[in-house]
Amino acid sequence: MHISEGILSTQMLAAGWAVAGVGVAVGLKKLDTDKIARVAFFSSAFFLASLVNVRIGPSSTHLSLIAPLGLVLGWSAFPAVMIALLLQALLLQFGGLLVLGANTVNIALPALIVYLLFGSHIRSSDGKVASVLGFLSGFLAVVLCAVGVAFFLGMTDANFMGIAGVIFAAHLPLAVVEGLITMFLVAFLKRISPDILMGVER
Amino acid sequence: MARLLKITALLGLMALINPGFLRFSEFLGKAEAHGVGYQASTLKPVSLEFFYSTGDLMSYLEAQVFSPADEKIAYQSGRTDEAGRFAFTPNVPGKWRVVVKDDEGHRAEAEVDVTQEFLDGGSASEPGSAPAVEAKKAMPEGLELYIRAGLGVSLLFNIAAFVLLLKRQRKAA
Repeated sequence: MHISEGILSTQMLAAGWAVAGVGVAVGLKKLDTDKIARVAFFSSAFFLASLVNVRIGPSSTHLSLIAPLGLVLGWSAFPAVMIALLLQALLLQFGGLLVLGANTVNIALPALIVYLLFGSHIRSSDGKVASVLGFLSGFLAVVLCAVGVAFFLGMTDANFMGIAGVIFAAHLPLAVVEGLITMFLVAFLKRISPDILMGVER
Repeated sequence: MARLLKITALLGLMALINPGFLRFSEFLGKAEAHGVGYQASTLKPVSLEFFYSTGDLMSYLEAQVFSPADEKIAYQSGRTDEAGRFAFTPNVPGKWRVVVKDDEGHRAEAEVDVTQEFLDGGSASEPGSAPAVEAKKAMPEGLELYIRAGLGVSLLFNIAAFVLLLKRQRKAA
């Protein structure tokens, strides 16, 4: 999920920083600063989720919690993800500093897309429908993240379809796991504290 | 019949003095030089192991070795084995780089400091100095991992607290 330093071309690194910069600017502008503690909480959850290894078949991967992050934070997922990724690069040696823009886009853009697609429907639906939508958003977020990683690598390596196939297959089991996690989380929040799903935007 | 024999003998003589015939002889000579053989190398190899932060091995992945003499064109290319190991035989002292990457955007780069003493050490069975390899963990482990994770979470909440404080100060002003 984290693209390492030294993989992407200069053009792709610049494109990543440009998109991430716009996302962070919009996210900060829309953020209701009274709810910044929630942003810090979900940013921390994302930061720590990368340390949780999930064994799937012969290989293992780590959690990302992209969809919960997006459903709660919306546009603010961009600054939340960028700061968490920066700390992961500095403290845990995941990803890197030059590739921070591209990695931010790969995580925060899918989070924003599932927020725009499912956010309002989840808020207005009852428990069971919201849970199903939660699963779909969790699944889709990981698939979109895989597409983003494949796009950046494919544009650098000019073998998009070959790379996309490998990455999609590797992320599919994680998509199911993240779908289930998001489903249970949405059901839990709808029951215990539905106002958290109302977002952090002004 | 005698005439036919004369013509055949003449053609044979022409073939012998013809340059084309000489080229054919050279081809035969070269074909002989393409015979193959092998023996145990007296040079010592450097062997490295590559792995992910999840603990999985970087098995059967593309590996490239860059010599200190040429940092752009790979000195050797190949793949790691099932256990994520890759070995190469350096021929000059200096900093050698080994890059292993997969198709999912992961890339590991190892630096190996090869000394002249190591190169002079002879075969692997003879005692000699080992090359300096600065081992790099995929991520911190044990207590250090918990401390860094705690520091990260603490920093995130401190940033949030700082922003809130700033906002309240602005409101008060």
